[in-house]
Amino acid sequence: MLITLIRRELLDNLMTFRFTAAVFIMLLLVVANTFVLIRDYERRLTSYNTAVEKHRQELLETKTYSSVDLILDRPPNPLSIFNLGLDKRLGNTLGVYYLYIPSLWDAGKHGTNNTYLNLFSSIDIVFIFEGVLSLLALVFAYDALAGERERGTLRLVLTHSVSRGQILFAKYISAMTCLLIPLLMCFLLVLIMLTTSTSIFLRTDDFLRIGGVIFTSFAYLSLFYLIGMLISAAIRRTSTALMLSMFVWGFLVLVYPNMILTAIETAPQADTETVAHNQIKQIWDEFDRERMQFLANDPVPEDDWDFGLWGKGYSFWGGRDDSPSLLYYNYSGFHFEELLEESEPQVPHAQNYHRFLGLQITNTSDRTWIVRKPALEALYVQPAKMERMLLKFSPVGLYDSATEAWTGTDLNGLQDFFTAGQRYHQAIVDFFHDKKVFESRQWFTGDKRGVDWNILPQFSFQRSDISINAKRAFPDLFLLLMINLVLFAAIFLVFVKSEV
Amino acid sequence: MIWHIAKREIYDNLNSLRFALATVLLFGLMLTNAVVHLREHPARMQKYHDASTELLNRLRSRTDLYDLAQLGPEKFHKKPSPLHFCADGGEVFLPDTIYILISRITNDLNTLWYLSYRYQMPNLKNIRPNTIKVDWGFVIGYVLSLIALLFTFDSISGEREQGTLRLTLANSVSRHTVLIGKFLGALVSISVPFTLAVLMNLLVISTSSDVQVGTDAWSRLGIIFFISLLYLCLFLALGLLVSSRVHQSGASLVILLLMWVSFVVFMPSTLASTASGFSSPMTSEEYWERYEQLYAELGDEYNARLQDTRGVPTKRIELRGEYVSKGTERGERLIHEHLAQQHAQIQLARSVTRISPAALIQHLFESFAGTGFEQHQQFVENVQVYAREFREFVTDMDRADPDSRHIIGVREGMSQKPINSEAIPTFEDTLSLSRDFNAAAVDLLLLILFLAVLLSGAYLAFVRVEV
Repeated sequence: MLITLIRRELLDNLMTFRFTAAVFIMLLLVVANTFVLIRDYERRLTSYNTAVEKHRQELLETKTYSSVDLILDRPPNPLSIFNLGLDKRLGNTLGVYYLYIPSLWDAGKHGTNNTYLNLFSSIDIVFIFEGVLSLLALVFAYDALAGERERGTLRLVLTHSVSRGQILFAKYISAMTCLLIPLLMCFLLVLIMLTTSTSIFLRTDDFLRIGGVIFTSFAYLSLFYLIGMLISAAIRRTSTALMLSMFVWGFLVLVYPNMILTAIETAPQADTETVAHNQIKQIWDEFDRERMQFLANDPVPEDDWDFGLWGKGYSFWGGRDDSPSLLYYNYSGFHFEELLEESEPQVPHAQNYHRFLGLQITNTSDRTWIVRKPALEALYVQPAKMERMLLKFSPVGLYDSATEAWTGTDLNGLQDFFTAGQRYHQAIVDFFHDKKVFESRQWFTGDKRGVDWNILPQFSFQRSDISINAKRAFPDLFLLLMINLVLFAAIFLVFVKSEV
Repeated sequence: MIWHIAKREIYDNLNSLRFALATVLLFGLMLTNAVVHLREHPARMQKYHDASTELLNRLRSRTDLYDLAQLGPEKFHKKPSPLHFCADGGEVFLPDTIYILISRITNDLNTLWYLSYRYQMPNLKNIRPNTIKVDWGFVIGYVLSLIALLFTFDSISGEREQGTLRLTLANSVSRHTVLIGKFLGALVSISVPFTLAVLMNLLVISTSSDVQVGTDAWSRLGIIFFISLLYLCLFLALGLLVSSRVHQSGASLVILLLMWVSFVVFMPSTLASTASGFSSPMTSEEYWERYEQLYAELGDEYNARLQDTRGVPTKRIELRGEYVSKGTERGERLIHEHLAQQHAQIQLARSVTRISPAALIQHLFESFAGTGFEQHQQFVENVQVYAREFREFVTDMDRADPDSRHIIGVREGMSQKPINSEAIPTFEDTLSLSRDFNAAAVDLLLLILFLAVLLSGAYLAFVRVEV
């Protein structure tokens, strides 16, 4: 009996005009946007490759350790086509210096030729599903029960030995099958377009991640279908059910996410910034005092901090306080390229000083990071997390953050890169200490033989493992599924109690 | 008779669920909009005010003409629009300050100030979720249009299904009377809650003492309200058109919703991204390359010619003056070229998106609210005009001094007299309604054209359809 019911429903749904129209529009939107997205990804990839090459070239041309600019480039994520997340937005170059611990907030960006382009929002595949798929699910659901009740066919069906649960189940299964067709077709089309593009390289576990996105989309779709069905079960008239579903859709998808973030202010505590900034400043001041003390006690008492060293490409800066809002404060000091002959006698003395300085600076920057990290967290990460939390009261927010976690374009996924950058920074600092780089001659001059840059630790970054993606996506996915269950139970209760 | 049908429609609608829900939605959104504006606008104005006062004081404290000629006005602030609540216009993505640049030609020779249009990358550090600001543009562009479709999708197909349409037409009523009556009925029943919501919004905003809305702003608001009504009519006409062509009201709703989603939500961004791919402006790497090359060349040229002037101080001053002005002019030309290419790319993308009525209304709102890209261009122009004025002022001051050698850009070649700081021209970012009207004319015409096409389409469809 169940099979008969399902078959009837399936045929009913498949033959309708709304199904054809929906599939057509979905495919059109997906193809058009995938085309745009792939081109955008290719552009970012080219920019990444150029940047990597350029930065490598620059490194090879560098002569001394003190003038080295180690710049890491973040590769674009091919799965960003599904959910762009923060992948395109955040910085994609990260400078690694011994002077400070690099973080997301110190990143720069290449490949932005026109920042005004930010005015146009970018659309990804998940965004299309968010809007169109949910609408579609409601359009399929609004008359599922109310319509049959109005036409009287529901009573007819119930005269047979069919339980009400079976009817609900049959309706759900068949409608979801119908809705899955456009969903899977879209994903298939995107995959075909992705694989035909020569620049996009997907690994095996990327396909699993896409599988995760599909599953999450399915849960999202089912959620909206169930919302529609609940309305349909509770309300007697089709037209009213339709109106209500449309307004529910408008509220959940369109109004709530935008309204809540506009209305609620999630500014961090006002003085976090100044407090942290002053603390960091104090640490550097302390460093400066120790430095002055060292200079006063060393063998040549009345020297200055540059020891009269001079040469090509030499520059000295004192403490620098860039942008207080990002708590970027570092003692950016010395930059040598080639030493002048007259400065030679000073070198041993300067080496002695820099041995002290190198150790002090790395220690001090470690200490400032202890202040800076929680401050940045409080200033930027907490409000963003709060806003994401507020968004999760709408299924759209849940769906978005779950798919973001699958594709690795969420904040955690991007932080992975910056954490790798921090590890690399540590490796470089360790290397500098091990090889006694600060006191080496190559710190000051590249005269005899330049530095062999191949002995530096190499940076490598791999996107996180699929199990980590799954772990990050799990809470939101779980919530989506739970809401599904709750809705189904509610429909069942309403439908069982209602008069036909 | 038209009025009779309209009245029936209005009564029908007033009792319906959709009317109640639409009213609640519109009021909620408009209230949020007003409250947020009251919360954010005073801070915005204060920031602008503080920044420009400080700038003015610094400018006024200058007495040396050479300093004035070299450092210039330092920077320019964009004035926040009092109608920010009508259209946010992606303000965070647009620079609110234009800085100046002084380039180095050689170690001891710098150019004069010139405009640098340095752009911000506000997105770079922003890890917050992406959302649309709830401004009037959002409320009207997205929500009101959806409401319009929900009010009209069944107005003809529904009646046809119920058979009441045949009944109405059995009386001596012409078809266009029915159509116009239905149109007016829907228009009135949506515009009443809409107007009330708008009035409530304006009331909340204008009662606060922190936010001032001037006469100019009120006339702009009037225009914006008028445009919203046009836009509402457009979607009502679309709803009637589809409703009279399609026999089942369910199918008509699906068509309308899909059209709405594609035209309102997707079309603007997809088209903009596609269109911006057609032109490729100078990359920033290319710009820096050309910039460095320019000043390296100028520096070499200058150094080479400097050899000839040895021992002749007057000649040297003249040479310096020549290269300072050359460097300034070429640097400005280069940066201007860069900016013009960027603007052209955006302009192209924006004109392509005009196919979507939602983008049209966004542009119109931005033009009349004095926010967004259009206004940013106006701000840049204002700055350029002022820059010319400022330079003329320096030249005039220098000319007025008979002891000066009139070589701008070299301390020894310029007037040494202290200047009257009160006379220095000051910059104020202004908006002009007539200019905005010109900028918006095409959009407005297109909107009216769309409306005319859809209305006549609905008329033709309804007249020829079988009941």
